[in-house]
Amino acid sequence: MTTQGEPGSSLEDQEKLLDDAVRRVKRNAFDMKRCLDQSQVMDGVNHAGTMLDEMRTSLLSPKSYYMLYMNVSDELMHLSQFLVDEYGKGNRMPDLYELVQYCGNIVPRLYLLVTVGTAYIKVREGSRKNILRDLVEMCRGVQHPLRGLFLRNYLLQCTRLALPDTGQDKEQYGDGGVEDSIEFIHLNFGEMNKLWVRMQYQGHSREKEKREKERLELRVLVGTNLVRLSDLQGIDAECYKKQVLPGILDQVIQCRDPISQEYLLECVISVFPDEFHLQTLESILRTCQKLHERVAIRKIVVSLLERLIKFSENPDSGGIPSDILIFNIFSVEVSELIQNHKSVATVDGLAMLSSVLNLALTVYPKEISYVDQLLSFCLKCVESVPEADINNITLKELLKLLKVPIDAYNHVLTIIKLETYAPLMARLGYQHRKDLSVYLCQNLIDTGIEIPTPQEAEEFLGLIESLIKKQSDEPTGEIDPEDFSEEQNLVGQVVHRLVSPVNDQQYHVLTTAKKYFTEGGEERLRYTLPPLVFAAMKLVRRYYADKDADDKWEKKLQHIFQFISQIIHSISSAGLSELSLRLFIQAALSADRVHVETIAYEFVSQAFMIYEEEISDSKAQMSAITLLVGMLEQMGSLGEENHETLRSKCAVTSNKLLRKSNQCRAVALCSNLFWSGRIAESNAHLRDGQRVVECLRKALKIANQCMEAAAQVQLFIEVLNYYLYYYEKECESVTIQILEQLIRKINDSLPHLGANEEAEQIHKHFQLTIQHVVHRQKLSEGSTGGPNYAKLKII
Amino acid sequence: MLVLIIGDLHIPYREAGIAMKFKSLLMPGKIQHVLCTGNLCSRETFDYLKSLATDVHVVKGDFDDNISYPEQKVVSVGNFRIGLLHGHQLVPWGDHESLSLVQRQLDVDILVSGHTHKLEAFENEGKFYLNPGSATGAYSPLDSAVIPSFVVMDIQQNLATAYTYRLVNDDVKVEKVEYRRA
Repeated sequence: MTTQGEPGSSLEDQEKLLDDAVRRVKRNAFDMKRCLDQSQVMDGVNHAGTMLDEMRTSLLSPKSYYMLYMNVSDELMHLSQFLVDEYGKGNRMPDLYELVQYCGNIVPRLYLLVTVGTAYIKVREGSRKNILRDLVEMCRGVQHPLRGLFLRNYLLQCTRLALPDTGQDKEQYGDGGVEDSIEFIHLNFGEMNKLWVRMQYQGHSREKEKREKERLELRVLVGTNLVRLSDLQGIDAECYKKQVLPGILDQVIQCRDPISQEYLLECVISVFPDEFHLQTLESILRTCQKLHERVAIRKIVVSLLERLIKFSENPDSGGIPSDILIFNIFSVEVSELIQNHKSVATVDGLAMLSSVLNLALTVYPKEISYVDQLLSFCLKCVESVPEADINNITLKELLKLLKVPIDAYNHVLTIIKLETYAPLMARLGYQHRKDLSVYLCQNLIDTGIEIPTPQEAEEFLGLIESLIKKQSDEPTGEIDPEDFSEEQNLVGQVVHRLVSPVNDQQYHVLTTAKKYFTEGGEERLRYTLPPLVFAAMKLVRRYYADKDADDKWEKKLQHIFQFISQIIHSISSAGLSELSLRLFIQAALSADRVHVETIAYEFVSQAFMIYEEEISDSKAQMSAITLLVGMLEQMGSLGEENHETLRSKCAVTSNKLLRKSNQCRAVALCSNLFWSGRIAESNAHLRDGQRVVECLRKALKIANQCMEAAAQVQLFIEVLNYYLYYYEKECESVTIQILEQLIRKINDSLPHLGANEEAEQIHKHFQLTIQHVVHRQKLSEGSTGGPNYAKLKII
Repeated sequence: MLVLIIGDLHIPYREAGIAMKFKSLLMPGKIQHVLCTGNLCSRETFDYLKSLATDVHVVKGDFDDNISYPEQKVVSVGNFRIGLLHGHQLVPWGDHESLSLVQRQLDVDILVSGHTHKLEAFENEGKFYLNPGSATGAYSPLDSAVIPSFVVMDIQQNLATAYTYRLVNDDVKVEKVEYRRA
């Protein structure tokens, strides 16, 4: 830092200057107090005057000057207290007020005058009203901004408890009324503001920034006037509206200084009560019209709105009085500001409208028309600007605004009713539109609201179109696959909120959704279409449950199954064969449960077709055939002919699996179809023990062909467990001989396994299997009937 | 030690999400392990489970396309060996005897399976069987009255206490089943 230029400009210089000044203040204060202790009043006052000479300095920065002021005003307290005490002892000093006026320099003179004058007020020497007027007028004598500001601040500080107010006892406090206080503060405020503004025009123009910073440090001095006004009990809403506020606003407008205007209006909004603001909304908002271009009007308006929203939400406040048409006032005045004030950019306009929207939604939650009115005005604002001039910050503000009604209503059906919502949303860019769509979907999911009609479904899906299909303004380039799948899953979740209580209407809701989703392209349909399949199955169940009340139910079911079939075919055409196979299995079970055999059979054959044509990976084949067998075992609507075809198909397909272990397991699994499989004619389980044993025997044969020893024993044990399973289910074809033979076979093979973790597991598996048999034997000791392994010998 | 047993969420294929009443019960930090029977059907659902506890085990359901989930798994918690599989691989689906076949193969004290969307907690031949049902009450073609459910199991030495949570008409019903390891 350079020390050239003005003296006292460096930090070190400032510290030294301040230290020296404070030292001198202390010394003089010491002398002052010594004199006062010896009741040498005039000598004491003279020392005080010398001390106050320090306040005449021009070398200190505002910060240092403030520190000096704190020291000085502390010391002056002693003098003031002394004067009050002396009076208490009966020593009146009526000429002191005159005497101090002989002090040579104006700054010390006025400090002394304020000190003595306010002491007079406290002891009721002379007219309070006159002294106050006198002091505030005399202070005009100091026109240097910094010195003047602090002097007047001293005046405010000394008069803090001495201002006339209503409810005061005149005998005790002195004369004057609250209107005198208002006049006093208005005057002081006006002068201080002028001094504060004048600071801006001192010194070099290149130090403008530094000066603005210094000014901001001093703003509280000016604001204190407003705080004093707000402390006066005698001011009611009426008086505030007629006297107090107009005086402040006049000053605000006249000073034409942006820093002052912005600060003072914010100060007015924060220090006076909401009840007062409600009476003066128009004056405040119209004042905004007249403000300097550099004032952040948006900040002022938004902070006023935020206060009022909090006020209306506060249960103790009694809410906004019904005679104050707060929405009308704000919508008119804010529109005026947006249209007429040069400094209000589109982004500021939107921010203010966002707050007005918040207010409307809080105070008038039922008035949808208010919201629509505001949204159309927003649209007008956005449309009035050339598209190229709308930047990202503006769009972000618009996005924020559009989220306001979502949060407030928490009900997407209400959002749909807002006519201007969709056109306004269309003004957002691609990314913001998508963000808002995600927000809408999330709200729908979280609130659990259901969209009941095709029209509403159409409107909602229209709103979130940016998630559903490719957009013309979509940027080209890489899409983050995780983000994409997250968004699409969200759309999938939305499907389960498209629910009408009326069956026929639900059908139309689903067809509407299908129409939208099929436009989404292959990359989306894997997320959006499966939910639609399940939603349709849910509807199948509803139609079936209500079949007695609807004589066309069979026809309608057919339509839904067609719908389901079409969708799964679309999924299959997109190359998602495993998924479509699984969906066909679900569809088959769904049809089976409502006893439409032909459709159920058709779905099963579709599943087999996919299996045969599309699934080639051996692991995928095994997992598919497992599901197919599991499904067929569950079905009950198939007649013997169809069932026979399908169970043979399962057996043949299992037999064709590539890996022996898979083949063995799948064939063993098929045994279930001959045992607990059911056919429609008898509605009874097949219980074909012979075929069960044939399957298991075949499985064993395949296991025998398995080349790998450990895998082979493992398969033997698994097949043994199947035999035990059927034996316990009283399948007579499973004989003790078969069991003993297989156990022997396993016992013979086990020693060849060697010692490793896998072998250990196999041993354990076998051991547990035998334990199970022994357990059953013990349980049924003595009884003769039932599958009790009584004759089974375990060697 | 608390173990959350949950599965068959089917989000977004069959349901929009877990009911708020359940979500508010499942707060992060209380549960040490999560055993999931599968059919999460989305990455977000897995992330949700991961937000409840760091130790999350998932097996593959018939509608999971995440290839990293295993078909079955054995997890040791305290003194217990717990077997986990979705259950669509067993025929007949949900059959108790078929489940005991798997219990013997995996050599576990507790066998956890899903797929039927039906809550079950029972003991058979000294072993404990748990089916947490579907946490979202997901649609199943086999059951027209699926009730959303999950299980929280408290494991203390040789005692496992299963608390079953069901959402019946928007009310959470909790029941307790104890299992002592022999």
